[in-house]
Amino acid sequence: MHNDIEFRSVTKNYGAVTAVSDVDLQVPKGAFLALLGPSGCGKTTCLRMIGGFEQPTSGTVLISGREMNGIAPYRRPVNMVFQHYALFPHLNVEQNVGYGLKQMRPRIEASEIARKVALALEMVRLGGFAQRRVHELSGGQQQRVALARAIVNKPAVLLLDEPLAALDRKLRTAMQIELQTLQRELGITFVLVTHDQEEALSMADLVCVMNTGSIRQLGTPQEVYDHPTDLFVADFVGKTNRVTATLETDGRTLRLADGSALNVGERRGMTAGDAILAIRPEAIRVDRHAKPGATGFQGTVTNRIFLGSTAEYSVAVPGLGDFLITSDRRNLHESELVEPGQTVFLGFDPTTAHLFPVSSSA
Amino acid sequence: MTKKHRENLPISPDDFMHEFMRFKRGSVTRRHFLGVTGLGLATAVMARSPGAFSTAAYAAEDLGTKMSIATWPNYHDPATFENFKAATGVAVEVNVFGSNEEMLAKLQAGATGWSLFVPTNYTISTYHKLGLIDELDLSKLTNFSAATENPRFTKEGQIDGKTYAVPKNWGTTGFAVNTSKLKTPMKTWKDFFEVAQTEADHRAMVHDYQLTTIGSALVALGYGFNSIKPDELAKAEELLIKVKPHLFAINSDYQPGMRATDAWMTMCWTNDGAQLNRDIPAIAYVLGTDGGEIWTDYYAIPKDAPNKAAGYALLNYLMDPQNAVKEHIANGAPTTDSRVISLLPKEIVSNKIVYPDEAALTPLEFGAAVTLTDPGRAELMARFKSA
Amino acid sequence: MAVSAENKRRLVTAALVGPAAVWLFTFLVLPFTAVVIFAFGERAPEGGYQPAFTLAQFANLGARSAAFANTLTLAPIGALACLLIAYPVAYYLAIKADQKYRMLLISLIVIPFWTSMLVRTYAWMYLLGARGIPHLFELAGIDDVRLLNTPGAVLLGIVYGYLPLMILPIYVSLEKLDRRLLDASADLGASPVSTFFGVTLPLSLPGVMTGVALVTILLLGEYLIPQLLGGGKVFFIGNALVDLFLQSRNWPFGSAIAVTLVVVVVAVLLVAMRIAWRVSGSRQVDLI
Repeated sequence: MHNDIEFRSVTKNYGAVTAVSDVDLQVPKGAFLALLGPSGCGKTTCLRMIGGFEQPTSGTVLISGREMNGIAPYRRPVNMVFQHYALFPHLNVEQNVGYGLKQMRPRIEASEIARKVALALEMVRLGGFAQRRVHELSGGQQQRVALARAIVNKPAVLLLDEPLAALDRKLRTAMQIELQTLQRELGITFVLVTHDQEEALSMADLVCVMNTGSIRQLGTPQEVYDHPTDLFVADFVGKTNRVTATLETDGRTLRLADGSALNVGERRGMTAGDAILAIRPEAIRVDRHAKPGATGFQGTVTNRIFLGSTAEYSVAVPGLGDFLITSDRRNLHESELVEPGQTVFLGFDPTTAHLFPVSSSA
Repeated sequence: MTKKHRENLPISPDDFMHEFMRFKRGSVTRRHFLGVTGLGLATAVMARSPGAFSTAAYAAEDLGTKMSIATWPNYHDPATFENFKAATGVAVEVNVFGSNEEMLAKLQAGATGWSLFVPTNYTISTYHKLGLIDELDLSKLTNFSAATENPRFTKEGQIDGKTYAVPKNWGTTGFAVNTSKLKTPMKTWKDFFEVAQTEADHRAMVHDYQLTTIGSALVALGYGFNSIKPDELAKAEELLIKVKPHLFAINSDYQPGMRATDAWMTMCWTNDGAQLNRDIPAIAYVLGTDGGEIWTDYYAIPKDAPNKAAGYALLNYLMDPQNAVKEHIANGAPTTDSRVISLLPKEIVSNKIVYPDEAALTPLEFGAAVTLTDPGRAELMARFKSA
Repeated sequence: MAVSAENKRRLVTAALVGPAAVWLFTFLVLPFTAVVIFAFGERAPEGGYQPAFTLAQFANLGARSAAFANTLTLAPIGALACLLIAYPVAYYLAIKADQKYRMLLISLIVIPFWTSMLVRTYAWMYLLGARGIPHLFELAGIDDVRLLNTPGAVLLGIVYGYLPLMILPIYVSLEKLDRRLLDASADLGASPVSTFFGVTLPLSLPGVMTGVALVTILLLGEYLIPQLLGGGKVFFIGNALVDLFLQSRNWPFGSAIAVTLVVVVVAVLLVAMRIAWRVSGSRQVDLI
């Protein structure tokens, strides 16, 4: 099986600034890839290099096995859903969606264009909107027009640049599901750029976390979340409680700032020295009292946010700082909710908590 | 040879500015377009020092500190107004115009602010009829001497035995020819219109002025200069429209074109003819032997003049032969007053452009009042210009 | 004394709009009313206006048909010539020019307008006259080149004089153009040429129509350029008006022509707005 998109040692400089640095990437056909990272991490530049709006300073971008260097956007078998949609304000919905078809050579007959446009609009559930002006549509409807305008051309790859950023939360959730469904139906490769980790994790089947121009981790959403390769990924993909510590020479004893020690089990690849223990909020159990033999910290609840099925607690642990805990209500064994001011025990399994060298957060 | 070589040089910035200033002097003052652009209102307030030397004669009456005059371009010696200000303390604002029609239009509209103006002979009866001018109080014009004025040039200033205007100077309307460019000898208006369509194709200019342009065409056809007969005007129109595609321009501001040799031939007034000939001897001034115009410009005081006292004072000042002779030397138009002739340098009196032989004047006609208000001639001019 | 919120708002409105309203009434509405009244009057025997109620002046409009025809052909041609030259310049400024130099380049276009139009037109008279460009031709052995006082010279003067009025609105609309639309068009397979005609041009049409309307309207009243560069042989409505008011003093006829000209100008404006709305698909058309 060949890759739909491939980056080979791609670097992009803007003057003295390096936006993308020596990136290698393979996206298998039919994948839903999310390029995830903070602003300025190079994800949008990567997308624009696939679209052809930017040319790599060095290295090669391939689409469906073809080298794309120097090939203009309008000659590439990809289509993009732009941030803020970039719909043509002087054209109606139908004309917007048919725009790409009208550019095709040999020419497509008008009736055929009309049929395909109607089909695409149907697909994004905008059947009755063909004659509408763009500015008469809501944000969500405009989003769908942008989608229809891109997919109607049957591109090999669909590029989505922060497609949901301008929508409200509820609409965003609905569109996430729609996009996933659409991707399955069309069977083409989607490349999504987002800074929203939740969006990336929920929609993509392959997440590429980027920072400062390079890829920090490429993997399934679960891999990226459960096994972040470094502290940056752990921090950016989901919330993390950090505990600064020192790994002793035996490679399994972790000395914390308050002087206590934890047995974190055998850690391969970790050398003795300063380290950071990263614990996901949901990996911590809140108990009123420490279970015999349990590992954890004693602390005082300072705040509680009730979220329905879950609750978030802030807990101050003397000598270690504040902890954030997300508690599924079923985990509250002793009673329903813990009140601020109460003393609790934060229990966790140190052998499954992440441990990173201090330098890996950059 | 040296001169020829210089003429062949491309335009230098100095030349350009020189030419431009010349254009500007001639043209800013000329014809109606400037009135519209606002530059026509460009006025020169001739004032430098406060009038410390009020003489007894002027001190009798309060003259105020300023007045304004409506006149023609390059028609006065600027020193005249400075001297007047020095003598009386009255600063003179000078408004220049391009046609009698325009002056009349302004006076009809009212509130001109003029205390003195310079209408041409054939317009005075209309101003009188419309009640736009005052009878002159000759007791205030002690320097005016009816006895030394040539009656040929004073009669239109008098209506029913009353004096409404006194003459400034007279002149003729002929044509100027650049003889280094045009070799055909020309003596008549018939010649003028023929050469305009042949040897001077795209090199001839006619006035943007119904009186002289239509009048000259009528003369070329053997009719009277002032005709308003429809059939004769129709023939004149035919001639003008036939000539139009061959013309360089329809513009009364012809000095710049002639000096730049864009135009080789133009309808021309005495004073411009004298100036062109003085600077470029190859430009000759021709009076049509078949006819043409003779004219007199007068001074008159508008009925609604805001400062009549100063208007009279200035007029009296200008009637002083010592002052009038300076005006003559500056503008080049011939005088009507024998006292002034006796003060003129010989080369001016003997200049045949300024003082032609009587025989050359015989075929010329004064403009007639009716041409000023005849709608037929106005409409003919509009059709000619828009053809 | 307490001022109610309602009254206060009225006062503010009056303070904001009042001066302009007084100005417009005094210097536009009143004079124009006079012109309309004059247009139904008669010319007095010695010129000017004499009260009457007649449609004779309007019936006589045909007497200036040549002036109307000249104006109604040369004004659009002039505007079109301006457009053809202005568009590429505006396009370059808005889309291609380095941001660093953009303001400098725009200043270069605007700066000549700090000099009087009359002075600049005189400069052209000199350049086109016998001692200007024709003289250079003469040196090259080409004799008798005539430029001044031709329709070409008038067109040149018009383009020169009105070019910035065309460039600036087009520049503004191109500058506002969302660059992502150009990316989107390219992404959808449109070549640069297709993108220009499919996206850039239609979206810059409000600016184009503003420029065309502005230049056409001003040209409909143009007087100076035909007079100076056309040698008085090219006769516009403006020239006809000047002659009627200042030479033949036929105020009623002049008024009738002026009223007709205003009607034509309003019609041009409405058509321009209508086209701009239709094509750009928005009601936000800024004429001027």
